[in-house]
Amino acid sequence: MQTVTIKPRKEIKISVEAENISPDKFGGKTEKEIQSLVAWMGNQKTTLGELFSVKVEGSGPAADTKIVLEGDFSRVKRIGEGMTAGLIMINGNVDMHLGAKMSGGKISVKGNVDSWAGREMKGGELIVEGNAAYYLGAGYRGESCGMRGGKITVLGNALDFVGEHMCGGEIFVKGNTGILPGLSNNGGKIVIGGNTSRPGSEMSKGTIIVNGKVDEMMPVFKLEGDEAVDGVTYKKYTGDVIGNGKGLLYVK
Amino acid sequence: MELLIKNGAVFDPVNGIKGDKTDISVKDGKIVNNVSSKATVLDAGGRLVMAGGVDAHSHIAGAKVNVGRMMRPEDSRSGISPRTKITRPCTGYTVPNVYAMGYRYAQMGYTTVFEAAQAIMKARHTHEELEEIPIIDKGALTLFGSNWPTMDFVREKNMDKLAAYVAWGLLASRGFGIKCVNPGGGEMWGFGKNVTGLDDVVPSFDVTPREIIVSLMKVNEMLGLPHSVHLHCNNLGNPGNYKTTLASMELANQVKASKDRQVMHVTHLLFNSWGGTNWGDFESKADEIANFLNNHDNITGDMGQMIFGSATTMTADGPKQYANAKLLHAKWSNGDVELEDASGVVPIYYVKQISVHAIMWAIGLELALLTKDPYKMLLTTDHPNGGPFVNYSEVISLLMSNKKRQEEIKTVHEAVHAKTKLPGLDRELDFSEIAIMTRAGTSKVLGLLDTKGHLGVGADADISIYDIKPDQIDPSVEHAKIKSAFSSAAYTIKGGQVVVKDGQITATPLGRTYWVDAKVPQQHHDEMMKDIVRKFKNYYSIQLANYMVQDEYVSHPQVIKAGAIPVEVN
Ligand SMILES: [Zn+2]
Repeated sequence: MQTVTIKPRKEIKISVEAENISPDKFGGKTEKEIQSLVAWMGNQKTTLGELFSVKVEGSGPAADTKIVLEGDFSRVKRIGEGMTAGLIMINGNVDMHLGAKMSGGKISVKGNVDSWAGREMKGGELIVEGNAAYYLGAGYRGESCGMRGGKITVLGNALDFVGEHMCGGEIFVKGNTGILPGLSNNGGKIVIGGNTSRPGSEMSKGTIIVNGKVDEMMPVFKLEGDEAVDGVTYKKYTGDVIGNGKGLLYVK
Repeated sequence: MELLIKNGAVFDPVNGIKGDKTDISVKDGKIVNNVSSKATVLDAGGRLVMAGGVDAHSHIAGAKVNVGRMMRPEDSRSGISPRTKITRPCTGYTVPNVYAMGYRYAQMGYTTVFEAAQAIMKARHTHEELEEIPIIDKGALTLFGSNWPTMDFVREKNMDKLAAYVAWGLLASRGFGIKCVNPGGGEMWGFGKNVTGLDDVVPSFDVTPREIIVSLMKVNEMLGLPHSVHLHCNNLGNPGNYKTTLASMELANQVKASKDRQVMHVTHLLFNSWGGTNWGDFESKADEIANFLNNHDNITGDMGQMIFGSATTMTADGPKQYANAKLLHAKWSNGDVELEDASGVVPIYYVKQISVHAIMWAIGLELALLTKDPYKMLLTTDHPNGGPFVNYSEVISLLMSNKKRQEEIKTVHEAVHAKTKLPGLDRELDFSEIAIMTRAGTSKVLGLLDTKGHLGVGADADISIYDIKPDQIDPSVEHAKIKSAFSSAAYTIKGGQVVVKDGQITATPLGRTYWVDAKVPQQHHDEMMKDIVRKFKNYYSIQLANYMVQDEYVSHPQVIKAGAIPVEVN
């Protein structure tokens, strides 16, 4: 088992791109080796060691590596990008693109995550105890597939476009979400504990379940009647009928 | 500046050189008989030397290329390379940024590329991009096939006015030749319709695709343009369309060439050689198309080879693109260019295990392998419709190695066995044939063989050297080496200057833009302009005075003169 603890040396004001903070990059490496990994601050190339203090205990491969982020990472982007194994524990908030394209392992966040957390994720698990911003589990600009596999859990709220262009996997938001969750959804499952508005527009496949109130329904769904899912009765809709979509939308 | 390339294994089919160790002398951007002792010597070390590559059909600049960029931000996430001291940053795979177009062609050893379709009204945009594409020489073909003036003059059977319109349209667009895309279909798309064959009548104009094609061929030869009519056939992309393609190719017999070249170039034949009646019984008819080409000498084609993976289809064939977007549930952009055709852009992903895609892939290769004379079947991917041009090395290695083809066939949908003849074709092209499909043939088809596509005295000093020793390689077995060498030239020399060394850009001179200045009798021009003035007054959204591309937009012009000559019609 290898545990790597990272802390900002000082307050980070200019955003940092740190896709090298990942068990795949840290596994089996010494403190020195980790410190020398590249990071970008604004348009300046720098190293993780310049920006963060790094403490390594034990040694092991990516699957046996736990990364603990202490302090404020709210200006640090792309943490855990593409990770395949291991664990990242984040004690505060993080910037955009957390766990983008990850295919395995687990990321756990005590605070909030900025936009595009779990973007184009393929597998693994992302747990956020605070709130998520826009495009949770979505595809980046123009991409036809967002999240493709794995699981995202948000215990707070999320903003607009949860799971946009989602093609697989599962997203659970305990609180409310902004408008258009599951926009252009093409697979996978989104469960919203609270309220939302205009879910599932342009949906061609996949499932959306809304347990709270839907402020506004898009007029592109066909009501199929009542149906019970896991013992709870919902109104079942299918659509988007304009695109001959086979998406399922369950609303209480 | 003088340059002497020694010890090259030269393949120059135009001058009958097949791998012989031939010295090449270069002075002031041209190939000359000999140079002084002060010349810089470049030792090719027995490696493969060819004329710089010439691409006769690619979409590298202009309105629809840029629409592709705008609607595909995801494409720009690939192909990223940072700026260097002499190159700008690059992005993109199917729709690269403007600068990458020039760098990437040069890195493959290509030095001349023709944009295959510009509407006159959008030509200023085309030239704005062409001006910024570094290194390569270029030009653009101008769309005439669904233009209102074209159809009016065809209906009136007034070839003098049509010739005058083409001459004026080429000037207005600083264009190089006549492109004709799904003639009539672009106009009908304005009303949500399409033409289905050569004899459908375009309403309000009372002309047929057949009449449009034949008339444009006639005036092309009346004007003695360097290139022939460049035809994107009706019914492109529909199962069973090979019949329309054959019927269109038959039309070439009605016109005699004014020069030593074809009278019709049928482009991206991969998309026009389709049998069957639907996607279920879809099959290759590449053999029928190749057979026709083998028996006719007035017509040429290009492959439009498909490359598995991401592509962006872009064409003036607006109705086809609407059908594509519906079929693929894909993003779709539609364009209407007022009185001049339509357009559409749709991304696509070609998948090995989809039977239709596997058959399409095979069709392109069948066309190249079944057409006996490589001068009649040029190598293209119809970039980025069949796939991005950076994959030419993949196509070359497939054509040179049956072993590679058989390995690939094992990985694609089994339909290639029943629906195409590719598995049984054992022809392997040699370096001379590749040089023809990528240099000599493309230059001949474009009408530029005097200065492009060969290494004889008087030719432009556009030269590529590849890291292969032809006498020591078996392309059939060592196809991976062939692919790697053709993807990244050891040297690319443009106008006598080394622009690429070991695959890296070393200089970024600006290339020239070819366009054709065709003269017609003043009286024909004046009569034609009366109609044009009326059309601008009544229909165009812009003023005639703002229409024409000014010289400022073409700062490095290479003007080819042409003019009205009598044409013999069979
Ligand atoms: Zn094309």
